[in-house]
Amino acid sequence: MIIRPQSAEQAVTALQTGAQARAGGTDLMERLRHSRDPIALVEVGRLHTRLGLEGEELVLGAGLPIATLAADEGVRGGWPALAAAARGLATPQIRAVATVGGNLLQEVRCPYFRSPLFRCLHKRGEACLARVGDHENHVCIDQGPCAAPHPSTLGMALLAYEATAICAPRRSLPLEQLFGDGENPRRTHRLGPEELLVELRVPRPPPGEGAATLRLAQRARAEWPTVEALARLVVEGGHITFARLAVGGVANTPLRLPEVEAALLGKEPGRAVFEEAALRVKGRCRPLPGTVYKVDLLITTLADTLQAASEARP
Amino acid sequence: MAWSRRDVLRSAAIGAAVAPTAPQVAQASGPFGAAPESVPVTVSVNGTAHSTMARAEDTALELIREGLGLRGAKEGCGQGACGACAILLDGTPVASCLLPAAALDGRAITTVEGIGQNGLHPVQRALLATDGLQCGYCTPGFVVEGAAFVDRWRAAHPGEAPSDDLVDEALCGHICRCGAALQIRNAVRRAAAGEFDAEGPPPARWDGPEKVRGAATYTADVALPGQLFARMLRSPHAHATVTRLDAGPALALPGVRGFVRLLGPSGLVRFAGQELGAIAAVDRKAAERALAAIVVEYDVHTPAVGLDAARLPGAPVVFPEDRASAGNHSEGPLLKARWEANLRGPVQGDALLRPGSAGRAIDALRAGGPGALVEQTYRTHVQCHSTLEPHGAVAHWPAAADGELTVYLSTQNVSGMADDLAERYGLPREKVRVLAPYVGGGFGAKAALRVETLAAIDLSRQCQAPVRLVLDRAEALTVGGNRPGVEVKLALGADDAGELAGLQFTALGDAGAAVGSAVSIFARLIYPSAHKELLDYDVVSHAPPSTPFRGPGGPAAFFALESAVDDLARRRGEDPIDLRRRWDDNPIRRRLYDWAAALPVWAQRPAEAGTGRLRRGVGLAIAGWPVFVQPNTRISLQGHADGRFTLSTATQDIGNGVGGALAADFLDRMGIPADRLTIELGDSRLVTGPQAGGSRVTASVIPALHDAIDQMIAELTEHATTQRGLLDVTPAKGGLKHGGGLCPWAELLASLGGGTWVGRRREQGREYFFPVDAMNINASRHLAGAVNLVSVEVDTATGRVRPLEVWVGLGAGRIVSPTLARSQVEGAVLQGLSYALYEERRLDPSTGRNLSANLEDYRILGISDAPPVTVHFDEEGMDKVPTRAAGLAELATVGLPAALGNALRQALGRRIPRTPFSLARVRAAVVGS
Repeated sequence: MIIRPQSAEQAVTALQTGAQARAGGTDLMERLRHSRDPIALVEVGRLHTRLGLEGEELVLGAGLPIATLAADEGVRGGWPALAAAARGLATPQIRAVATVGGNLLQEVRCPYFRSPLFRCLHKRGEACLARVGDHENHVCIDQGPCAAPHPSTLGMALLAYEATAICAPRRSLPLEQLFGDGENPRRTHRLGPEELLVELRVPRPPPGEGAATLRLAQRARAEWPTVEALARLVVEGGHITFARLAVGGVANTPLRLPEVEAALLGKEPGRAVFEEAALRVKGRCRPLPGTVYKVDLLITTLADTLQAASEARP
Repeated sequence: MAWSRRDVLRSAAIGAAVAPTAPQVAQASGPFGAAPESVPVTVSVNGTAHSTMARAEDTALELIREGLGLRGAKEGCGQGACGACAILLDGTPVASCLLPAAALDGRAITTVEGIGQNGLHPVQRALLATDGLQCGYCTPGFVVEGAAFVDRWRAAHPGEAPSDDLVDEALCGHICRCGAALQIRNAVRRAAAGEFDAEGPPPARWDGPEKVRGAATYTADVALPGQLFARMLRSPHAHATVTRLDAGPALALPGVRGFVRLLGPSGLVRFAGQELGAIAAVDRKAAERALAAIVVEYDVHTPAVGLDAARLPGAPVVFPEDRASAGNHSEGPLLKARWEANLRGPVQGDALLRPGSAGRAIDALRAGGPGALVEQTYRTHVQCHSTLEPHGAVAHWPAAADGELTVYLSTQNVSGMADDLAERYGLPREKVRVLAPYVGGGFGAKAALRVETLAAIDLSRQCQAPVRLVLDRAEALTVGGNRPGVEVKLALGADDAGELAGLQFTALGDAGAAVGSAVSIFARLIYPSAHKELLDYDVVSHAPPSTPFRGPGGPAAFFALESAVDDLARRRGEDPIDLRRRWDDNPIRRRLYDWAAALPVWAQRPAEAGTGRLRRGVGLAIAGWPVFVQPNTRISLQGHADGRFTLSTATQDIGNGVGGALAADFLDRMGIPADRLTIELGDSRLVTGPQAGGSRVTASVIPALHDAIDQMIAELTEHATTQRGLLDVTPAKGGLKHGGGLCPWAELLASLGGGTWVGRRREQGREYFFPVDAMNINASRHLAGAVNLVSVEVDTATGRVRPLEVWVGLGAGRIVSPTLARSQVEGAVLQGLSYALYEERRLDPSTGRNLSANLEDYRILGISDAPPVTVHFDEEGMDKVPTRAAGLAELATVGLPAALGNALRQALGRRIPRTPFSLARVRAAVVGS
């Protein structure tokens, strides 16, 4: 069953009756593959496809295709690492259809969750099967019940850019609150089942900022990241005066790393400073037996990203 | 700023042929019941408007393939990872397998069938000219994406060539399993530069034009009237006894037509994914519902998962009975062996080469005797064939048509399958027809008669309708075949003079519920003159059974052997090529050592491991492969009275290019243009053709072709002399030369009234190794040889390995078609790298269920990972093989993991004795854990 609403209000009404939201469908369609029962979907992809400026804020409609975000000259000029993060995820075919909102709210890629043969914690099962099973690609910052890394690259990027999510019915919440802290093993976000993500608002970065994002994966492209990070730095008078850093692929939510940011402030940018600051993340690393290797990769990627940000042209 | 405050309503773009439709009126204010079950979709497809209905879960790919009957777009993975289903949505490439059908409403799409309708698109011409395709299953996706990229690029940068990286970025959502990435990249870059605006010469790949147009019909594309849709019922448990299996409730459902039980009488399940039965229904949805309705009850037991768990004392036993049912994953006959619990071996026939003396030599070195010793345990992992076209069959066995069985089959063994089916069903051979005009890759997994084929046939007989049973990607990656992982315990010793003192080589194959490990044989074939103790074991476990995979046993054997030889050379302070030259008397490789030693990359390689974060290394490894042939191979040559020719044989072109190879030699010998020749393949009604396995095709069909040509020329010569009175007749290009000039073939054939000559593959001298050929395969006494070099860069801080460049020197005799041979080798090299770096089947350790049952978790090398490959053919030798031509498929892949491992050893200063070389494993080597 397909519901095609004309407004956010109509979409919310449909969600209240139990329908599932579908935007680009690149995550949902694969999971519907073996569905046997009729399903009710509410098509939300075309409701909010805005890309524009409001005052000093960048406004991204939840239904905006990722490719449009990645290619936009205004975004590339004003929020360059956000555009780069969008350009680096998935494949051109996926980015053409997948939406900003769908990327933020998508389900985890854990094979125990995706395979119809398992009933894991995320699917209302008893336990996280990856913890006792195969988990080489899973979290090394263990926040709680589900050990699958959050898959949203744009979540990481928008967290670093301090974006705010606007939802219907009327609610706005900073990205940290959209993702929570991994406490709920059955949701990759904190929106209620009757809430609709409408748009994201991203403040304009301070003048003189350099920003960069890096994605470490087995293969060169078309791969979910083992670790990814996005850094924003302002250097004034030879010292770091502003730092924002977020990381993905390592925890059940994308994470801001305030302890690393704090360690950078007032320092002269340089490899040694970046490595030392990156080491601060160790305090929150709690790897699984099979993800111990990821801790070093995380630290290296943070240092590399900070360095790239410091070398990026403001 | 290039954008303004605006809402981008992408739905505004509507194809010219479609009348704009108002957005569907929402009925969201009411209860669910008011919302439509399906919605109307109006879409322009290749310029023609279509109106249809779509349900919530329907995909655009289903709408296009099943609804509109356009089967150029393929389903490769169902998750947007392989790109075989790509279409243009308002001009932009998208993955149609993930695109909701409902999202097509008001849009214009272009499928591969819509590209190059009026003369091929430059990218299609470029793919043909560069041979940027093999099996062709991924080709429609690359054509769609490549055409969009080329058109976009040329509009913005006329006359300029894009960088390789830009091409890779555009194509990164596509996977070519055959490994044609290098020529695909080449083709798209050159087409974007404007090189292929004019029609080119006939391509080397004879069936290329159909493939680039999306017109090639694979088994998965067959749609017969009244065809039923079958699905397999599989056990989710790796070790269980089925106590009840009742399909009754399923058969009572609407649209469900038949069920066959496939579970053995004992009810024992030996791997997760094992086939219990198959159900046929009118469509996929009905089949899915039927599967869920079948009642299955299990007595679930603890499985033995993996090589280590299966050989622990007290491990659950996989074959407590019924051992004869264990599959054989070698390409040869199964040799006898002892079998206790899960350990089978050593295989009879091993341990022949003075094993005691090998042990004594190793013991002496271990005790500190003079010389050098390398002792190491190596481990390779399980690889899945993952042919882009999954296994599948469409069977039709109507009682009305005099009992004739027709099976469209994705197989690499058309003749053999027809033989096997005739025997199994007690039919005369001519009452069985196996058709495989196009096959989307095989790599060894499609050589034998498989259960889904039998299920399709049995269901067709039961339902009296055509039945299609095609595996999906999850099934293909679970039961569609795999290369066993192997543990090799190796001790290799050299005496003070550097001569091989002894070799102990014990291989344990991790082939799941199958046997037939034959790894140590390569340690016998290579470096022959030494004391060797060679042992092969199978460790059976509750995992899907292995099947032969391109060079069975080879990658594991060469990984162990060539790693050890490299380390021994290092220990002795000797150049690795010098050491091999002393030990190796193979004449082909001795020439290739000269070629390799002269390569600048080898001559200038750093002597020591690097010290920085990024380190580079160059590694070398050798390989060898027997020249196999299929003695019963035939080629039929028809010379038509109008001067055209038809070559035919039942053999199938799985992407190896056999059609093109036949054409190359035929056209060259006859001296005629390509448009005079027709080639027919992939039909069991044609004369017997070889299985594509054991790299046997070239060495089988080319001599048979030449035999047919010889027969024809002899008859035409006789005819010319006796009937036409020509004198001093000798064959020449274009016809028969005689005293008065040249009499063209066309004239001679017209005069003769045409004819048919069937050529045979004859043994030349005492060529065959075995006196009989029980399995229609014989090893010749001759060995092909290869030397592989790989240069890599390793990021020691992240563990990322980047192959920079590959050089392969191969000696397999005369190269019949240089273009097709290069493709075959490049594909083999990329598969070898992909195996060593990325691909790994992973099972859940407690349940034995497959965790890598999709193309996201099962990683295949992408175009962005493909390094340049230099291919060097040494065409000397092979004088004792008729027509001097042998196959390349296996020879070119088996040495790659070893060469890569040796490159890493040089870069890191440490040996990584386990594959794959993942981030985690490389990092572990760097930090020394």
